[in-house]
Amino acid sequence: MAHSGGFWAEAWRRYRRRPLALAAVAFVGLLILVAIFAPAIAGTKPVLCRYQGRLYAPCLGYFNRQWEPAIFTKDRFRGTYPQNLKDKDPESWAIWPLVFQDPFRAVRENEWPGRSENPARDEGRPSRQNLFGTDQAGVDVFAKMVHGTTVALLVGFVSMGIAGTIGILVGAIGGYFGGWVDSLTSRVTEIVMCIPTLVLILAIIAILEKPTIWHTMAIIGATGWTGIARLTRGEFLRLKNAEFVMAARAAGAGPLRIMLRHILPNALAPILVPITFGIASAILVESSLSFLGFGPPPPSASWGSVLNDARSNLSMWWLVFFPGVAIFLTVLAYNLIGEGLQEATDPRLREARK
Amino acid sequence: MATFLLRRLLLGILTLLVITCFVYGLARAMPGTPLTAQMGEDPSRKLNPEDQERLRRIYGLDKPWYAGYAQWLGNVTRGDLGRSITRKQPVTTLIAERIGPTFLISGTALLLIWLMAIPLGLYASARSGTADERATSLLLYVLYSFPTFVAALFLQIVFSVWLRGTAWELPLFGMTDLPSTAPWLARAADVARHAILPVVCQTYVSLAYDSRFIRANMAEVLRQDYIRTARAKGAGPWRVLFRHAFRNTLIPLATLIGLSLPGLIGGSVIIEQIFTWPGMGRLFFESIRERDYPTIMGLTLMFSVLTLLGQLLADLLYCLVDPRVSVE
Repeated sequence: MAHSGGFWAEAWRRYRRRPLALAAVAFVGLLILVAIFAPAIAGTKPVLCRYQGRLYAPCLGYFNRQWEPAIFTKDRFRGTYPQNLKDKDPESWAIWPLVFQDPFRAVRENEWPGRSENPARDEGRPSRQNLFGTDQAGVDVFAKMVHGTTVALLVGFVSMGIAGTIGILVGAIGGYFGGWVDSLTSRVTEIVMCIPTLVLILAIIAILEKPTIWHTMAIIGATGWTGIARLTRGEFLRLKNAEFVMAARAAGAGPLRIMLRHILPNALAPILVPITFGIASAILVESSLSFLGFGPPPPSASWGSVLNDARSNLSMWWLVFFPGVAIFLTVLAYNLIGEGLQEATDPRLREARK
Repeated sequence: MATFLLRRLLLGILTLLVITCFVYGLARAMPGTPLTAQMGEDPSRKLNPEDQERLRRIYGLDKPWYAGYAQWLGNVTRGDLGRSITRKQPVTTLIAERIGPTFLISGTALLLIWLMAIPLGLYASARSGTADERATSLLLYVLYSFPTFVAALFLQIVFSVWLRGTAWELPLFGMTDLPSTAPWLARAADVARHAILPVVCQTYVSLAYDSRFIRANMAEVLRQDYIRTARAKGAGPWRVLFRHAFRNTLIPLATLIGLSLPGLIGGSVIIEQIFTWPGMGRLFFESIRERDYPTIMGLTLMFSVLTLLGQLLADLLYCLVDPRVSVE
């Protein structure tokens, strides 16, 4: 988009002036790093190990079960690496994750030399061994949250990717063509606005035999596009009679080309704002669903499901505090980014600031 | 005006038909029926196959979903929302029972929100740029991003667990602990004590949102030429704020009032679920879990009607506060 680079460079220059908005971008960047390196931050599988003369990276099993090298299943490691590696190949060595804790199970006595068993029930308050405490089953909360970062990030990006695509498409078609097409798309938008999202999500989760986090994201995306569509429609209505569009039409550009190459880049800035706020609300929807007990089934760890564990015993305050603060900070970060974008790209606000 | 209302009415009916048909189809597509959902919870109520078949026929569950929907629709046009299968009561009675508790929370919250949001918004625009305004705005912003269910859990931990046994202790959940034979005043006080935490949770997010909304609109209006004119002719800052600026922010405010209508009666599923408050939101959640089709449908119909009415109300209020806007 070289031709509109000036606008975005200017927007970035304005955005940079807001320290809170910059901090929010840094925070999201940090979350992305945590999500990518989650198995290296907390886990019980070696990041890299040498076993019987070959190099393996069993930690990839945290991303996808199938990525865990088959040799360890064959040699009956059963997920416990430190002792097995030493017993079955004295020559072996391994690079371990920063924190030796598993997001899916409790670490047992002496699994790691000199480490005691994770406390279970309501005794697992935060300690040096379990930074954020443990849940009723003795699973480390820090490990759960590090691995839950992926869910929190994916939910935002995937569901708003879907919602943004549908919303821009519907809004662009309605706004550009007008007439009966516009009436039709506007009615469809209105109907979707009235559909109770919660019923839809609960019903679809109940209907699906094996609901995964991807289904939840798809549903949030499929219902969350109405605001984006309305805004896109307004922008297209405003811009379709602009001189540069007329010029493009005179030059012989077809409707698709005009919509995508000429109008959309000019309408993108205001549309990005509700998309960013949408990411924040998608994260809220997902975590409240998990909190109500309708989240992704294990082994997908979600921050909301840690909160759900806390409901049965409120004296375990650490099960509320850490995931609660994480959800809050993430939502706050996206809201700050959205607001920063708004201030940086809205020319009306710009004039006021001089 | 009449043609506008008629057009909206027809469109509204069409929207309602599409939504109810869709939700009915979805509800019937969920695995299990109200009968099996009940048996799953309580094995002693297990029915023999003949009885099950008989009940299925009584409730019309043996027919395909579109036949069931047609029957439901026919009853609705005659003003009959049907009987709840799991609770053996008319759906209208269930709704009538739950509407009071929900309104107690949402009505109080809405009142508090407007009582505080308008002064806060005006204060923020009057003192725009000063240190105290920035601190208030930042605090409101932080509150706005704070998830309700996290706040509810925090409040429960503080007031029901940590402060247990002190004068500050507040009940964890439910609406009242007293039997219905207790004196009227004592029961009212008990319900009020139970309502504090849910009301706080429902108030703070909207308060932050609405006062920021008012502030943003004020900022927009304060840049207009007529404000500069008013200042130039010597009107004091408060006079400019109230007589010239605030009146012109009423238009977007009207939309906001219209949009808060569904929430006022529909309640909040999550807050009512956390505090086990016997309101509409909780009824909705329970009816989905129990596969209680008539209740799901009755509530869906009600929420959709309210949403549509809220949009209509917003449009009408628009015309009322802004003579330049016409519904035609």
